[in-house]
Amino acid sequence: MDKIVDIKNIERIIEGLLFAAGEKVSLNKISEVLQKEKSVTKTILGNMMFHYNNSSRGIMIREINGGYQMCTRPEVYEDIKVAFSPKQKGGISQAAFETLSIIAYNGPVTKPKIEYIRGVNSDSALTKLQERGLVDEVGRLDTPGRPTTYDVTDEFFRQFGFASKKDLPVLEMEDIIGGD
Amino acid sequence: MENKGNFNGVLIKIENFEGPLDLLYHLIGKNKMSIYDVKIDEVADQYMEYLSQMEALDLEIASEFLVIAATLLSIKSRLLLPSKKDKELNEEEIDPKEELLLKVLQYKKYKEFSQILREREDYWSASYYKEPEGLEFDFGQEDLNIKPQELKEVYVGMLKRNSLKRNNKAEVDMVKIIQYEKVSLQSKIREVLRSLLHKPWVKFTEIFVGKEKTRLEIITGFLAILELSKLKKVELFQEVNFSDIEIHRLDAFNEAGSDAIYDEKNIG
Repeated sequence: MDKIVDIKNIERIIEGLLFAAGEKVSLNKISEVLQKEKSVTKTILGNMMFHYNNSSRGIMIREINGGYQMCTRPEVYEDIKVAFSPKQKGGISQAAFETLSIIAYNGPVTKPKIEYIRGVNSDSALTKLQERGLVDEVGRLDTPGRPTTYDVTDEFFRQFGFASKKDLPVLEMEDIIGGD
Repeated sequence: MENKGNFNGVLIKIENFEGPLDLLYHLIGKNKMSIYDVKIDEVADQYMEYLSQMEALDLEIASEFLVIAATLLSIKSRLLLPSKKDKELNEEEIDPKEELLLKVLQYKKYKEFSQILREREDYWSASYYKEPEGLEFDFGQEDLNIKPQELKEVYVGMLKRNSLKRNNKAEVDMVKIIQYEKVSLQSKIREVLRSLLHKPWVKFTEIFVGKEKTRLEIITGFLAILELSKLKKVELFQEVNFSDIEIHRLDAFNEAGSDAIYDEKNIG
């Protein structure tokens, strides 16, 4: 019995924490607050996510690249739209989508490598993705010229519904040799 | 999309391709060829047709298209040579046709994934996220524990520094004002290393903030400790914001031989 009370209490704390945060809270942080092992926290969170999904709520918990965040369910979007008039984001071009795909699978990756795969200059696509906050500079390679490397951001995981990079579909390209 | 041309009975949409690989992929698909069994000469012809089509419409052809065009023609010309040459082909040599098709195949995978991304975005962008609460946390008031004497010292020190900065003999010393000062990062790095030779650590103000130090020197000095920290020669500590920075010597300092650091090539 005590164990169930304990878990209920933990769920309550997590729920409150995620609601108050209003941004991604890392698994580390949540475990620290709960003073539980990360694996335990992860299991409880997984359980909570499952219950949120199965009890027709308007809010859900999402895993986003090593952390968790609350958001409204996409299904209630149309109804929310009636109450507020959300700003429409401009769409992104095919070039930007292709560049984003390459960065998602290969990041951290340099611009020359992206352009090698796409076979075409990707300057403006990359700039657009950075403006949209989907991609960011993450470092520099220790090779001549110290080229900048790019990777996808948390916003990417939010916008496209991936929990982490491991969540990306397998492209079955084991037989494909990368660039360079 | 707008520019359509009828060429050899094939309706070609111009400016609809993201690049030469996209075009190649389209041509292979249009001819219902398997990617593993591509008739490269046919594809090359159609590719060239497409380029002349673009030219006819006065469209600018990106250089990337021309690179692939050249590759295609080179592969095609190879095919025209007697086939015994093929057998002599070195095993380790990469077949340019294979290489090109591999690139197309790879590109195709990402293109397909970009389609998945589009669909997922449609769904997931309909989620809303709450902005963070304006949570206010108590960061703890820092009690200033300063003796009146210390306060006076700081004040006097400041006045002294300011008077040193002022060029009182401006009329006589006009030259001094426009004098170009050269402070190199290397020289500052040497200065830090020298002061760490006999001490395990020094304070930043000890070496770089003194009566004769100009702003340029202080800034370069700061860059020098950053550089040394990056090279893992020193470790930097600062207790609170704006307090003095402590520069601690790291083990690697002696092991790697500080001579090596003097070598300018090591300084990125």
